[in-house]
Formats: sequence, structure tokens, C-alpha cells
Amino acid sequence: MSLSRRDFIRLTAGTGAVAAFGQLGRMSAMAAPSGNFRAMVGIFLFGGNDGWNMVIPTDARHAGYLASRATVGIKAAALTPLTNASYALHPAMSALRPLWDEGSLALVLNAGTLFAPLTKATYQSRPDLRPSNLMSHSDEQAHWQGLRPRETSIDGFMGRIQDRTAATATPSLISLGGSNLALLGKQTSALVLPSAGTLNRTGFDNRASAKNDAINAFADGSAFGVMTDTAGRDVKSAYDLAVSSNGILTAASNVDSYFVNPATGAALNTDVARQLMRVARMIEVRGTLGHSRQTFFVSQGGYDNHSAEVGGGNNDTGNHANLLGDLALAMAAFHRAMQSLGLGENVTAFTMSDFGRTYQGNAQNGTDHAWGSNHLVMGGNVAPGGIFGTYPDPTLNGADDIGGQGRFVPTIAQEEYIGAIARWHGVSNADMPYVFPNWATWSTGGRGPLGLFRA
Amino acid sequence: MKSVSRWAVLCAVAGAALVSACDGGGGGGTAGSGDGVVSAPTPTPAPQGAPQTEADSVRLAKQASFGPTTALVSHIQQIGAAAWVDEQLAATGSSYADMTTAVRNDFCAAGDNICTRKNFSRTPVAMRFYADAITAPDQLRQRVAFAMGQMIVASEQEVSATAGIAAFNQIFLDNAFGNFRDILKAITLNGYMGDYLDMADSNKSAPSENFARELLQLFSMGPDQLNMDGSPKLDATGTRIPTYGPDDIRGVARALTGWTYARVGGAPLTDARARDYASPMVQVASKYDSTAKTFLGVSVPAGASQDASVDAVVDAAFNNPSTAPFVVRHLITHLVTPNPTPTYMSRITAIFANNGKGVRGDLKAVVRAILLDPEARAVPSANSGKVKEPILLMTSLARAIGFATDGYTFFNRDSGLGQPVMRSPSVFNFYPDDYPLAGSATMRSPASKLLNTSSVLRYHNFVYDWTVSGDATRGEFTADSGLPPASGTQPLWSAWEAFGTDTDGMIARIDLLLFGKTLTDAHKAALKKAAEAITNADPLLQARKRAQMMLYIAGTSPLFLVDR
Repeated sequence: MSLSRRDFIRLTAGTGAVAAFGQLGRMSAMAAPSGNFRAMVGIFLFGGNDGWNMVIPTDARHAGYLASRATVGIKAAALTPLTNASYALHPAMSALRPLWDEGSLALVLNAGTLFAPLTKATYQSRPDLRPSNLMSHSDEQAHWQGLRPRETSIDGFMGRIQDRTAATATPSLISLGGSNLALLGKQTSALVLPSAGTLNRTGFDNRASAKNDAINAFADGSAFGVMTDTAGRDVKSAYDLAVSSNGILTAASNVDSYFVNPATGAALNTDVARQLMRVARMIEVRGTLGHSRQTFFVSQGGYDNHSAEVGGGNNDTGNHANLLGDLALAMAAFHRAMQSLGLGENVTAFTMSDFGRTYQGNAQNGTDHAWGSNHLVMGGNVAPGGIFGTYPDPTLNGADDIGGQGRFVPTIAQEEYIGAIARWHGVSNADMPYVFPNWATWSTGGRGPLGLFRA
Repeated sequence: MKSVSRWAVLCAVAGAALVSACDGGGGGGTAGSGDGVVSAPTPTPAPQGAPQTEADSVRLAKQASFGPTTALVSHIQQIGAAAWVDEQLAATGSSYADMTTAVRNDFCAAGDNICTRKNFSRTPVAMRFYADAITAPDQLRQRVAFAMGQMIVASEQEVSATAGIAAFNQIFLDNAFGNFRDILKAITLNGYMGDYLDMADSNKSAPSENFARELLQLFSMGPDQLNMDGSPKLDATGTRIPTYGPDDIRGVARALTGWTYARVGGAPLTDARARDYASPMVQVASKYDSTAKTFLGVSVPAGASQDASVDAVVDAAFNNPSTAPFVVRHLITHLVTPNPTPTYMSRITAIFANNGKGVRGDLKAVVRAILLDPEARAVPSANSGKVKEPILLMTSLARAIGFATDGYTFFNRDSGLGQPVMRSPSVFNFYPDDYPLAGSATMRSPASKLLNTSSVLRYHNFVYDWTVSGDATRGEFTADSGLPPASGTQPLWSAWEAFGTDTDGMIARIDLLLFGKTLTDAHKAALKKAAEAITNADPLLQARKRAQMMLYIAGTSPLFLVDR
């Protein structure tokens, strides 16, 4: 059964790719990454993004969508289908339409945390196969970032990737979205940079002085227990990294000029845009840093919209529209910046989020915590027109709904989704079980990484 | 056996008030802990009857106040740990009660930024938080309230009504040494929380699950069933067992339907501009799901009143067995250590379950036991330590220097340091209690989530600004919030200037207040050299500059960053 699902996924993707070739006439669709450099940019949408309003069916299923989504459904009048697809992005995400048209955006449908392949029936009959504490922000964030859906993680997949990457003075794992589980390796730690401001160390110079001697005398915490020892090493590492990073962050860079609203020309000043702008800078200086692979963590918060997710009327406005609009502008700008560096095909950005939300809207024009959700993959190397996975049956209490409010069992595991990006990024087959602890489940029996990228 | 002997020590230390708890609680407290995990080394308590050491007085001040001061340390030294804790359990002083007058949301004229700051921001409440943290006498009450507010989170990020922020946080000050059930009940019906987690206006037609879920997951029992020692209960296959399922959430959400904000000035309940965030919510019978509800093993019959439904929910959350270890772990994590041994957990959890007089959730007994436990009072071991969160970094430095303040300069700083008080980025607080210590397979270090390349530099620059550049004339200290009475901030350098050329005296004070007398001779010599490299013809200025330099070196060190 899972074999046929896999075949269907591949077939869907292939069809999309062919359609994009034939009808968009994109010869450059054959573009391949230049050189060996690869970067992956994970964008974590904190709070649980309502993916059901990010990727919306526009064919006959839209009536079922509206009926089930109730208070939060976006009316057909507000939707423009993606070229040669039966899905639309949220109307606020129009900045990403040109990327779809050029074949640099792919859709992943109903992906989520899974311990084992599940259907509604096996979900109900086999509690021992469910991820623990579904619907919980903290647990599901940890499952996405740690990729151990039934255990507590103390390290995350990005950190584990870095564990198996050649060490560099400046870590090649860089977060603009703060410290998070995803970044913790078993042996390595990430560079965490601010999205704004610099890393200047006030009043410090490295000339020999009694002051610096004293600073050094206090720098070693090893005689004061493991916590102080760790803190001492963290502080020293931060001081060292700040020196190299600050030069990059304070230098003028042409990539900044791409972070503007194409409609107005105004500079993008949202936090997610600033984060991605700094990602672009760190990619720009990859050679100086000696990075042949980079991994980035970016975040955008505010997606826990239990109320006022939509603003009435066509429901194409509201808190969620604002968030997705900011996200789309920032992502599109980032892609243009990568193209300006000649790295459009070498960089892949992708979304993650705690969980999807209930398909059924609540009485306060919001949605509650759920499970499977839709995601976006962006980059010049993704399969043009790629649509991966199957859209769930939108019927409340239907074939995919475990609870009655539209909580859908994911049909794609995070491992199949992120695993595809990790393989593309350069994680070896041998290292996949280290990076993805549950890899055996998701690389056998007809399961495996999605065909997200051009062959 | 170990736990029994330590229990006996605690009982001896704790004194008569807890004797019956000692008799009754020990056995129950260790129930379920027979998983082989109880193998932590026994801490070394101060010998009974031994004089209070200065090191331990400083340690207690770090655990139970916003930072040691010379007066505080000598007071603890004088009366002993238990007497000081009891004194604190009776102390009052801090309050937001004068800020809880709700106003309509069109109260301020357009462009009146002072009015907006006063009525629709955390500014006045956060200023009070810091002003009281620096000087109010009820330090422990504030620390417990601060800890509670980091477990039961509502944030200015989503709801900015000042009266609501004040009223919500007043719940924690009022009940810091009260009963945990009263906190749960009050925050459930609080209008500010009602907006933050959408219980307000939740309608039986499609109830919001937001508050229902976080009440169980974050505010009371947590997602996993816990043993009394804090470890997760495991089923036959070694898997954690959830405390609730989706149907429980649904049931709780239905039981909590039918509430809306009280309104300012008697405005009708339909007036969206008149929400009173400071008062308990009121009932809207037409939105209440009065049919039968079942959750967490509790049944609420059809036709039960709204009050009965709320009480059933609060009781179910409060009485869940996991609520005791979940709340206790949070309090220990925020006061003493993020890595308590299972036996320490068990001792305190037993007191949460029963204070010795048959009362569950007695926070006064719980807090007292947390601080007077031998593990809290022991000389630090290799795994001891708690990374300072930014707010405690600020207040500890300021209290060590000596500050008078209206709080505004702290408010101005806390966002940049990553911890704007009363403005958490989400209901999950600034950091989770179980954030792992990088590189350790077992240890937690919650505040380390805020400690990274970026924040280390900000911590450093903050300390530099308030020490080496921290003269009273510093611009940020004279800044006026525009909210009377704006008194600004005065660092009290005169106490350091009074040392004159007595560098050793300054070093002794720094060693005491920042480090609990743990500095080595090498540390002290290095400080002295750095200080005496500074000379000035003005003896007071020279003394101040030397003190500032040493406080900078000390305040930016990892030894200060980690309390132990």
C-alpha cells in the first residue's frame, strides 16, 4: 500500500515537472547547481502555521474546502491558481508566484510528524505508533527539530548535520532565529547571530593590559562545575566568533538591495526579512569562511492564531494574511539575492512549523492545533511545478480526520521531506541514520525521500 | 534509604511546623520512583546547628532575591536561613494594585503617547517590577511571582492593556505564598488571560481549545504523567504516558465556554471598546455549552452551572497527580537549580501534595521547603549551577553596585537582552524548563536558550555600560519615562568611593556579593592589578573608576553568569 502511495507521489511530481517544462517553456529548468556549494535554509514558522490556507485547492475540491473550513475559508473570488496547478497560494503570498512560474517553488502537501506510516484506522488502533503529545507546541516543535517523535531530544537535525560536516573556525550552521533544539549537535554548536544590530564588544581591545589579564583570569569556569565550565566556553566562543562575524554584518553588501517590496520599492524591515538578508550575507562570504556547505535556521513567530486568523469578507485578510505576506516577500527577495550571486540553484529554503491547524475554523475566526500541514520548498534546483504528497479528504470526520475538527493524519513524514533536502545538501547515505534517527522506517518499505529536486 | 535519611535531616532543619508533613509525606513522595533513577549523590548539608556561612547566605540570596546586597547577606548571616525565609514569607511591599483601573480602548486622544504608554503598554508595570526588585523588602514573594509568571504566561505582545497586565501579575504577588488552586482559578477567569488565550468569547458553537490546552500542558499537569520525583511514568513498553488526550481538551474547552470580558463603566457586553481586562470575566449564558461534559475522569452533568463547570476544570487540573511534580519542578528550576535530584523533587512534591495539615497546593510550605532543603543549602557539587536569565543578570549587578531606581532604565534594557518582562514571545515563556545543556546527555539549562553568540555580546555590553560607563550622569539613568513619579536611576557609587585606596576591601565586597567568596587568590590578584592600573588625582574618582573596572571584569565573567 505504501508502495503505491510512493509511486503516486513520484508520478504527481513528475507530471508537474513535465507540465512546467512543456507549457512554461523554461529551458533553464535544466539548471544545475554551479560548483559543489550547497546551503539549506530552514524557516520555522512558530506557533503552528495554518498550511490549509497557505496552499488551497482551486478545483472542485474548493467547495468542500469552504464547507469544512467554515469561519476561516478563503473565498474563491480571492484566489488565483498557480500556473498549471489546481492549487493557489494564499492571496497574500503573490510575491512567490513568479518563483512558481520560473520553476523555483514546490509544494509539499500534508506533511507532519510521524513515527511510522499511519492511516486514520491505524492511528486509532495503534496509539503506540503515534508521535507523543500531538497538538502540543513544545513537543511538536521538538519533534520537527529533533526528529525523534516518541522520545525527548537533546539534539537536533541541523546540529547533527554539522557534527558530520568538516569543522571550520566559524560554524557552518548559523541561526538568525535564536537558539533552538534543531541547532544542538552532539559535538558541535551553532553560530547564533542577531537579525539586527552588530556584535561589537564595547570598550574592548586586545592590547596587553592588566584589564585583559584579569578578563582572561576570569574566563575559565572549569573549576566551578559543568554549568560554569560550559558557560565559560560559550562566552569565549562568542567573543571569538563576534570578531569575524561583525566584519561581515557591518560591511556593505549588494545582496541587501534585493530585500525590497517589488510593488512599492520599500525596503523590507520585517524580522523574517532581516534574518534572510543576513543569511544571504553569510552565503555571500562562504568562501572566506571556508564553507562548502551551510545550514541556516530562520524563524517567524505569531502563527498560533486561535482567533482573528482571518478578517471576514473573502477571508483573505487578517493576522495570518499579514504573516504570510511578510514571509512571501522575504522568501522571494532572498531567492532573488541568491540568483544575483549566481547561487539560485545552490540554495534551498523550506518551511517547518509546529503542526497544521484544524481544518474547521472556530467561532472566533481562528483555528486550533492539529497535525499534518502543507509546506513550501524554494530554490532553483527544485523540481519545477513540483507538488508532492496528497491533499487530504477535507471532509470533517472523513477518511483522514482523526477528531472531527479536521485534524489530518500526515501522509508524508518529516524525514521524507527534510531528508530529501538533507540528501541534496550532501548528507551521505551512511550519515542519514545519524541525522535522522528514524531513517530506517522512512527509507524502506517503499518510503523514502521525496523527489523534490531536478534529476 | 538515602532519601529517608535526608528526609530526616530536612525535618530537623525545617522545624516543628513541618513535622507532620515529614511523618506523612515521605513514603508517598517516593512512590513510583523505583525505576533505578534515584542514584544521585547525597548533598552535603550544612551540619545541623552550624553557624550560617557567608557563602551560603549569598547562595540563599541568589536563590530567593533579585541579587545579594551587603545588607541582605549580613541579615541572613545574622538570623540564619530558616528565620530569614520565614521573615520573607511574611513580608509584603511590592504591588501593582494601584495600576489596575481599566479604561476603554479609546481612552487616549490620538497622538497622546504618554497616555498610551500609561494605559496600553507594559511600561508602568514593568517599571514597578524592576523598582520593587531592586529595593522592595518582599524579595522572595517577588521571585516566586516572577517564577509563576514564567509558567503561567500572558504577554503584552498580544494584549497591551496596562490594567490587565497589572491585574494578571498581581495574582502572582497575592498568591505567591497562597494556594496554587487559587492561582489557577484566578488566571482562568482573568480577563487579560481571557484575551491572550481566547477563552473570552469562546462559544459553544465552536469552542476555542487554546486556553484549555495550555491550562493542562503548561499551567498545571504538563503533557506527560509524572512520578512524584519528577521522572516521567512509563508504560510496559517504556513509553511516556500522556496526562490527557484530545477528548479531554475538547471537554475542558466546552466547560469553559460562555465567558466574556467585564466592561468598563457599565458598558454593554457587546461594546468591544470597553473590555475590562483587570476584572474577572462574566458569564454569557447563551454561549455556554450546558450539555454534559467529561474530561480527565471528571463528569460534569448536563445543566451544571458555568461556575460549577469552571470549578470542575480547575479542580481536575489542580488535583491531577502530575500537577505536584510539574509545578514543583518549575519552582525549583527557577529558584534553585534546573537539575534537582529525584529525591529533592520527591521531598518537595510530597509537601505540595500535603503540607502536613491535609492541604494540597500550599505554596508557602512548598517554597519554604524548596529553599531549606539540604540540596538547596548544600555546598555546590559538580553539577550544581543555574545560568542567570537576563533579568536576574540586570538586577543582580544593580543590587551589588547599589541602585535607586524608578525601574525605567531596566525596562529600556530588557528587550535588548532578550527577556522583556511581561512580554514573552509566546505562551511558552522566554525559554522552556527542559532546554538541554549543550554537550550534556542529561542536564538541563533553561536560561542557556537565551545564551548565544549574539546575546553574550549584549550581556557584555550591558555590564560594561553600567560599570565602566556607569556614572550617575549616564544618559539612560536620567531618562524620564514621562510617567510620574519619574525619578530616574541613581547608581550609588559613593559606597565604593568610600573604599578609597582600599582595593582589597572592594575586592572582598565583589567576592562576597558576586561570587559568594569563591574567588581564588589568582582572581583577586588579577582584579587588583587591573584596578590599580587606573590612577587619578581625584581620590574619589580613582576609587570609583577602580571599582567600576573590577565590577566590569567580574560582572562579565562566566563565574557571575552561573549561580551556584
